[in-house]
Amino acid sequence: MTVDTTEARPIPAADWVTIPDLYEDPYPIYQRLRAQAPIHWVPAVNRYLVIGYEACHAIELDQQRFSADEAQSLMKRSMGHSMLRKDDPEHDVERKAYGGVLRPKAIKQRWEAVFDRNYATYAARLRAAGPGADLVAEFAAPYAAENLRVVLGFSNATQQDLQRWSQTLIDGTGNYADDPQVWAAAERSSREVDEAVDEMLPALRAEPDGSLLSVLATSGMPLDSVRANLKMTIGGGLNEPRDALATTVWALLAHPGQLASVRSAGRWSDAFEESIRWVAPISMYPREATRDTELCGMAIPRGARLGVVVGAANRDPGVFADPDAYDVDRPRKPHLAFGGGNHFCAGAWIARASVVSIALPRLFAQFPGLRLAPSRPATIGGWVFRGVLSLPVHWD
Amino acid sequence: MPKVVFHHHGDTSTVVEADAGSNVMRAAVQNGVAGIVGECGGQAMCATCHVYVRESHLGALPPISEDEEEMLDCTAAPRDDRRSRLGCQLTLGEGLEEVEVDVPGAQL
Repeated sequence: MTVDTTEARPIPAADWVTIPDLYEDPYPIYQRLRAQAPIHWVPAVNRYLVIGYEACHAIELDQQRFSADEAQSLMKRSMGHSMLRKDDPEHDVERKAYGGVLRPKAIKQRWEAVFDRNYATYAARLRAAGPGADLVAEFAAPYAAENLRVVLGFSNATQQDLQRWSQTLIDGTGNYADDPQVWAAAERSSREVDEAVDEMLPALRAEPDGSLLSVLATSGMPLDSVRANLKMTIGGGLNEPRDALATTVWALLAHPGQLASVRSAGRWSDAFEESIRWVAPISMYPREATRDTELCGMAIPRGARLGVVVGAANRDPGVFADPDAYDVDRPRKPHLAFGGGNHFCAGAWIARASVVSIALPRLFAQFPGLRLAPSRPATIGGWVFRGVLSLPVHWD
Repeated sequence: MPKVVFHHHGDTSTVVEADAGSNVMRAAVQNGVAGIVGECGGQAMCATCHVYVRESHLGALPPISEDEEEMLDCTAAPRDDRRSRLGCQLTLGEGLEEVEVDVPGAQL
């Protein structure tokens, strides 16, 4: 499809936007940008930030015009060239190689029991830490990490390894400030993951266990791709459930009326979906324009590096009324927190099973009087990846 | 050109034409048909393109794959053992020139 761009509006520049301000709280920035246009050139991050829902959604569904395979990708540098930075048909081949590992049937047959066991382990750890404990450090992070470790098949690593790998590889992917220490840590983790993958593949070929590595070991996927896809999955597979869980707990504790409604009717799914709309754990991802084109009436040049800010799209007042409010009763509309189109989050069902079906209902049942620590407020940060960094809680 | 009729609650319907090789989900999304989301782009991964196929067309449908089968257990609206399908798995064209479906009350 050829698009005539002669009538399109130019894209405004927002040179006042800074990375520290985005990290601190991006939402007022998006609000100010949104009043002017759905797309802006933001020199601080060297990208066009796409913040409108319609524009973000259009990009997700159009890989001909907006490629995931961007040049000079920070993610490729940090993690290698995973399927997340490929278009179809190359992406599709690798996606299909994941098979049923992350799908509902395997979750029911295999992973629910794992999540169950891990809930018990880390709920006990939270309890042992005592009232005032940080729910992220003592529960959400190790629970998400141990679940992921088992699903991926790293019997030669610990949940602490998974946490370190995930954080440092993600930090590399979001290293817009080009900090050399961040790159050094990401490179170290990348080597460690390569070694762990290389060690596990022959073992799992000999004794398959239904894990992702086990399935990939016999899939014919080239080793470089296995390594890159594992790193991508370590990144998204840990922080998404960790942050979705912590943000949902934080939101419910901050809104006791909604918590009461959620508890009485078991509406944990509503609470979860609204929290990832409200604060999308993966808030921005890149695309590159393959040609001069037009989006929402604005001219985008060929080769433009775009940031698809789903965290902003999820607060577009044209789609979600009173978008800055956490509201489990708002009409259900598709949010973009799991992405859309061919790159729709492969772990969506794993996140829902581990967080909605197991962690949320049990935490609130087994920690009566769970509440925010009065003198130590939760800390929240990030814009490429955003979540609750610490969540001190008390219980009776 | 293949044709899809989407019946909505309250007796309204939307008729759309689509290219052979397209599918019921894509036909809906490209034409802005209300009530079909299609989040995952057609990988039988999200269960948001759930439709109830009308009886007279059931015989023309392809069999339900393993992936579609597990996803049909994850739909927001109740599954109908005979009529529930994922729109993305219903390829239009040869053998399915026309199909009529009821759009469920919820996809999310």
